[in-house]
Amino acid sequence: MSHSSSKPKNSLAALFPFSMRDLIVTALILFVAVAFCILLQRLDPSAGFATPVFVLTVLLTSRLTTGYFWGLFSAVLGVIAVNFFFTFPYWAFNLTITGYPLSFLTFLSVSVITSALTTKTRQLDKLRMENEKIRMRADLLRSVSHDIRTPLTSIIGSTSAVLDNPDLSQEDRRSLLEDVKQEAQWLIRTVENLLSITRIGSDRTELNKQLEPVEEVLAEAVQKARKRLPDIKFSVEVPAELLMVPMDPILIEQVLSNLIENAVIHGQTTTAIHLRAEKTEDGFAAFSVRDNGQGISPALLPHLFDYSIRHASPPTGDGKRNMGLGLSVCSAVVKAHGGRLTAHNHPDGAEFIFCLPMPPADPAISTDLSEEESL
Amino acid sequence: MNIREKILVIEDEKSIARFISTILTANGYEAMRAASGSEAMSMISSHCPDLVILDLGLPDMDGLDILRQLRSWSTLPVVVVSARSHEQDKVSALDLGADDYLTKPFGTDELLARVRTAIRHTRTATGNSEIAQQGTYTVGDLTIDYNKHQVLVRGENAKLTLSEFRIVALLGKHAGRVMTYDSIIKELWGPRASGDNQILRVNMANIRRKIEKNPAEPEYLFTEVGVGYRMAESEN
Repeated sequence: MSHSSSKPKNSLAALFPFSMRDLIVTALILFVAVAFCILLQRLDPSAGFATPVFVLTVLLTSRLTTGYFWGLFSAVLGVIAVNFFFTFPYWAFNLTITGYPLSFLTFLSVSVITSALTTKTRQLDKLRMENEKIRMRADLLRSVSHDIRTPLTSIIGSTSAVLDNPDLSQEDRRSLLEDVKQEAQWLIRTVENLLSITRIGSDRTELNKQLEPVEEVLAEAVQKARKRLPDIKFSVEVPAELLMVPMDPILIEQVLSNLIENAVIHGQTTTAIHLRAEKTEDGFAAFSVRDNGQGISPALLPHLFDYSIRHASPPTGDGKRNMGLGLSVCSAVVKAHGGRLTAHNHPDGAEFIFCLPMPPADPAISTDLSEEESL
Repeated sequence: MNIREKILVIEDEKSIARFISTILTANGYEAMRAASGSEAMSMISSHCPDLVILDLGLPDMDGLDILRQLRSWSTLPVVVVSARSHEQDKVSALDLGADDYLTKPFGTDELLARVRTAIRHTRTATGNSEIAQQGTYTVGDLTIDYNKHQVLVRGENAKLTLSEFRIVALLGKHAGRVMTYDSIIKELWGPRASGDNQILRVNMANIRRKIEKNPAEPEYLFTEVGVGYRMAESEN
């Protein structure tokens, strides 16, 4: 029973939603209108301007608020105000004025029509944004599927070559298998990135954030990168002061490892990577990944973090593998943390910097435990 | 005759089970396979393996349930296998008594290192024979002196506070193995200590500043992000 009765209530609530913001907007517009009319009345006591001013008021209110309620509300108030304050006899109701029902009707129609248009426009905007999201997701899927096909082709080809040719030299066999391993590692990185996207979710609140010491996340990222990239010289620098930053550590580690990977693949001649964390003056924790490679091509710089745009441009050869997905994941993760990600070239290579907001110092978590006696 | 350690690989994905057992056999272990939880339980009681490698995602039983059942009657070392993004599973497994974990995908070196560490720890009941015999634990330039309650770095007293020493001492006893934040907190501050690990994290940061050359490139105390801490294991 309660179910059937709740339905019309819901749709009614959708037509007449209440919000503090709308109340304030309505009050403000009405106040300005009344003030304006009072001022004008000094110049023109006949007050013929009052009706158009209040029609405008109703129009604006209906346009700037959600649903029908506030528009109708200001229409009724407008009719009363015009009649009571600004039509002879002043400070009194006079329902016998010629055309009074007409002006009342005009006010109401303006309100209803404008509210209806506003509601419709908002729905369209929302729909457009949802469509955009769906399109982006489809683009992402298409690009990723395309990117995944290349290494899989290579894996199938290499393993068949080994399986079907028993006479292959030990050396050939080895190099084919090395390729398989490398392609598979590329695939797993891509999958980890895709998983990171699902972990970000659509809403900021879904992030699994907790206070983490910056040095621990940096240390683990570097430790894993050293294993994966034994030829690169890594150095890490953290401030003496302990930085505790609210973050999803798994995602931030992914960002760091993507930036490292990117520095090696796109730096081309990268031999050394320097990672640094520090506290900025405006209360952010800044992480920098700096390489000594070729730098970022200036044409690419503006679209660096946009996977779909880079893929929409004419293909530059089928085999071109890129880390576009990695960088767009970095950008999405940092954004979801309320931070910012930037990239620039320096004289010896490229540098990526991302900043995460830090909470104001919490006295409950003192980083100074010196009151305790040392042994 | 050389007695080979028996390792049971509990994994339902055939190809993964095969490559794990191939690596183990090639490195001098005797590998057995079980593809389901029920099969695993009966093989554990009939074959008495020296170590179990357990995938947490099995078709018939939750891997954590197997672990719980096993721990009710046995201290047999268990290394769990799980995916990167499931750090909560790793934490639960470690807190239920798993000895270590491997994150998919893992390579030969990682697999063998985890297996070696887990088997070594069962041989010495206290967890670390050096501590039992000499009252010290040494790795690289770091020495934990359990009798004097001191940590020495290159022969110098690192001047740890009491709680800092207790953390390092605990990790030293379990060197080579991950300890979850919760298990460290319970061990040091009792079972009723708050689940909040901030104080532990801050203590760790201070310890790193006292014993590591660069706190962001630790040689002795490693972080497993989202899980816990691990003390480096000495080579000998």
